[in-house]
Amino acid sequence: MGKKKIVPIGPYHPLLEEPEFFKLYCDGETVVDMEWETGYNHRGIEKICESKTFEQVFYVVERICGICSTSHPFAYANAVESIPGIEIPLRAKLIRSIVGELERVHSHLLWVGLAGHFIGYNTVFMWAWKYREPVLDMFEIITGNRNSYAMFTIGGVRRDIDDEKADMLQKVLDDVQKKTELLTGAVMDDPVLHARLKGVGVLTAKDIHDFGAVGPTARASGVDIDIRRDDPYAAYDLLDWKVITAEGGDVFAKAEVRLLETFESIKIISQCLKMLKKEKGDIKAKVKEIPEGIGIGRAEAPRGEVFHFVKSDGGNSPVRHKIRAPSYVCIPTFRKSCVGGTISDATLATAAVDPCYCCTERMTQAYDWKSGKQVMNATELIKLSQKKTEEIKAKMSEGKIRG
Amino acid sequence: MDIEQYIKELKDKFEGIEKIEVINKKRLMINIPRRLLMKIIEYWFNDLEYRYVIVSAMDSKEGYEIIYHFSDDKSGWIMNLNVLLPHDKPEIESITPIVYGAEWIEREIMDILGIKFIGHPKPERLFFSEDWPEGEYPYRRKIRQENR
Repeated sequence: MGKKKIVPIGPYHPLLEEPEFFKLYCDGETVVDMEWETGYNHRGIEKICESKTFEQVFYVVERICGICSTSHPFAYANAVESIPGIEIPLRAKLIRSIVGELERVHSHLLWVGLAGHFIGYNTVFMWAWKYREPVLDMFEIITGNRNSYAMFTIGGVRRDIDDEKADMLQKVLDDVQKKTELLTGAVMDDPVLHARLKGVGVLTAKDIHDFGAVGPTARASGVDIDIRRDDPYAAYDLLDWKVITAEGGDVFAKAEVRLLETFESIKIISQCLKMLKKEKGDIKAKVKEIPEGIGIGRAEAPRGEVFHFVKSDGGNSPVRHKIRAPSYVCIPTFRKSCVGGTISDATLATAAVDPCYCCTERMTQAYDWKSGKQVMNATELIKLSQKKTEEIKAKMSEGKIRG
Repeated sequence: MDIEQYIKELKDKFEGIEKIEVINKKRLMINIPRRLLMKIIEYWFNDLEYRYVIVSAMDSKEGYEIIYHFSDDKSGWIMNLNVLLPHDKPEIESITPIVYGAEWIEREIMDILGIKFIGHPKPERLFFSEDWPEGEYPYRRKIRQENR
């Protein structure tokens, strides 16, 4: 038994979407307890929204997260439009679904790449990010921006997708489909990845219920929830697609769910594009004013359900705007998935729920609890994770373990 | 889901519910007195297995409104419990012992509105730094009116 040490991850860390501070209490290599501190990046967005008009709030909430920058406007639109009960035109519904699903494709590919990097598979990282690039280019063509698309407005969307762009998008998607199939095959059939990722950071269905976790984190534990199907919005109830779930609840299951979901998203976009060609009409409904009332909207972001609560007093701005991002309920599950595992797995289990990676500041250091001397930094922690993969590879080639 | 039937069942099961209202499509708002809170949360979370979503809190004219959002994923309904707390006594029972995931949001509401959650396992600040002045709550009405 070694001395009990504390390993801080954060406040700035490559694995965390925003600065957060995890303290891992370790006994030797094993994590025995975990604590978290947050608030380093609290911007008071809910408060800012109260001082903006209903239209302006779209561009504020878009900036909550750089990666799922459409899911917040999506949920907010659902919330605000439900107060007067606006029915948006079909064409707007289709365009909204296309943007939402394109975002899922790029976000999942981004996660697969980073997960590959953390376990020392830089080829996966290079591939996934290379295939993600054309998707971002398409975003630029369709919306004008690679990020923060500013597509949504009350009652519809701000830009149309014409037939020429639709054809371009379909062509890119066909290519992404082929390449992602290649990537999925490489990841799913790799015996080293099976040995490295299976049984790591396991979350049971009960853990998911206790924490209220959502999205791929929940679906990887066999919890069959997806807002797109359960409480349909935009055009999702008009299309043919299925919810992907996996058993196991470990990091491998989460990777599997995300990779397979990418194909479903491509399927959804293709159907939308076909319908878009037939459906000629407005892209925006006329909206006069937002009456007094309460609107609750949600949308399935790449990381899970986004929840917006908007209260209006009949004026031109919300009196209260409560936002819940999926990471808010997914991050606390670290406590279950990391405790009992090793430090080298904690890095991976933290990354598995996909907190987004916007922040580029990096600072992770491991301190000796008693002397306060630095014993490890971020690069070394990632190296530790990569080393474990190397060890598994070596053992496998010697025939000691099987994949 | 037969919402009329469900509302009737709830009214029979929990005596003292003030108001039940369908606010929008698939959104139910239930106003309850404080004493019923834990009973309904337990019934929803443990027996009906509703998914905990989040808790919203706001300062309105009548008092502090704490709204508990739960999701019934089988039917797609969002069930909302609204508890009104008087301005002079902002305290309520913590639901964290039942719903483990509510730990963060209750701490956040403590930060922003100064509501006291009785029985919370870790009543410390979540978002605000340690040097944030005591008794300053940015989401209170007073501050909102000053800024407008």
